[in-house]
Amino acid sequence: MSDKSNQNISELMDGELSRDCSKFLLKRMQSDSELRSSWNTYHMLRSCLQKEHDAPLIQNLGIAVLAKIGENDHQEATAVKNTNRWLKGLTGSAIAASVALFAVFSFNNMNQIDQDVNHPNFAKTSKQLINPPNATVVRVEQPVRYSRFPSLTPQVQEYINESNNQPMIPVYYNTDYINNLIIKARTQNTQNQVEE
Amino acid sequence: MNSTEEKMSEKTLDAELVNQAKQGKMKAFELLVNRYQQKVANVIAKFVKDRHEIQDVAQEVFIKVYRALPNFRGESSFYTWIYRIAVNTSKNHLVSKSRRIQNAPVEFEEAENFSSNEDHRNLDTPDAVYARGELEQTMSKAISTLPEDLKTAIVLREVDGMSYEEIAEKMDCPIGTVRSRIFRARDAIDQAMRPLLQDESMRKQNVR
Repeated sequence: MSDKSNQNISELMDGELSRDCSKFLLKRMQSDSELRSSWNTYHMLRSCLQKEHDAPLIQNLGIAVLAKIGENDHQEATAVKNTNRWLKGLTGSAIAASVALFAVFSFNNMNQIDQDVNHPNFAKTSKQLINPPNATVVRVEQPVRYSRFPSLTPQVQEYINESNNQPMIPVYYNTDYINNLIIKARTQNTQNQVEE
Repeated sequence: MNSTEEKMSEKTLDAELVNQAKQGKMKAFELLVNRYQQKVANVIAKFVKDRHEIQDVAQEVFIKVYRALPNFRGESSFYTWIYRIAVNTSKNHLVSKSRRIQNAPVEFEEAENFSSNEDHRNLDTPDAVYARGELEQTMSKAISTLPEDLKTAIVLREVDGMSYEEIAEKMDCPIGTVRSRIFRARDAIDQAMRPLLQDESMRKQNVR
């Protein structure tokens, strides 16, 4: 450390050093403890001369302040870290709980699917057959027909139906096959109409 | 130095140190603290009478200054800004202290022995008082033993706040001579204080 550097510090603190030199010196001072020590002592002399009677002489408070700031930052960082750790644990637990809940619901749903397969929906009427429920096979329960006596009144038909003890024979249809049949029939009707 | 070169004024120097501190350069902030420590202590001493507490409050002031640095826009001077923070912190300190004293249980016999609040405030350790007293004594002695021209130059600068040009005019000498005298005065004090400051530094390290 040269006298020239110290003289520059003396001029810098009085605002008497050129701008370029000042910037260069400030940069140097931050990495040179000897230069900072000179800055501190020169300011201590200023402090001593400017000190008012009631105030104590303060010297090199900067180091204590920086240490305190570092300590506070460290405490804050530790607090944040602990909070993060706590949050991380909580998040982990939440994820685990979500996965468990999802698994439980999925299992229940799978049971429902199995139930659907084991107990398919059946179409009960011909209308349902045209717009069948979610099933690959539909069963249509056919009422006994008395087509030999179409002229019977509805009251008589109803009476015969009610008094009929024969079991209703279900008929099973493949919905895809039925749908194809319906589409073909419609297409055929349309063609017939056009031809006519 | 060439007098035509643009100088970095003290205000610009503060602004430069503040900018560097804002960028996270802690050493720049250390330089700033040591630059204003005594002025801040003088302000606090108007409110707080305990000399030991003054240092603690000063430390609190500079920590607040550091935390508030991003909000400092430089519309007022740096000193005006920290002056306000120092006044507010001192007042808050007094309020919280009076609350603490009110809440503290004090025996009647003990209270009768307090001749004044000063006795209650004096919490300095003898070691600290001695060390501080020694520093002040050494400093005063070093100043008093300075050659008269150096002493006059440094007093005109630090106490009367004159510029180099004004001092040159007052002492009837070239500005370069003023520059040199002020530096030599500071350097002489630096040489006188160094052994003591090194001991002080060693003592603090041992205490830690």
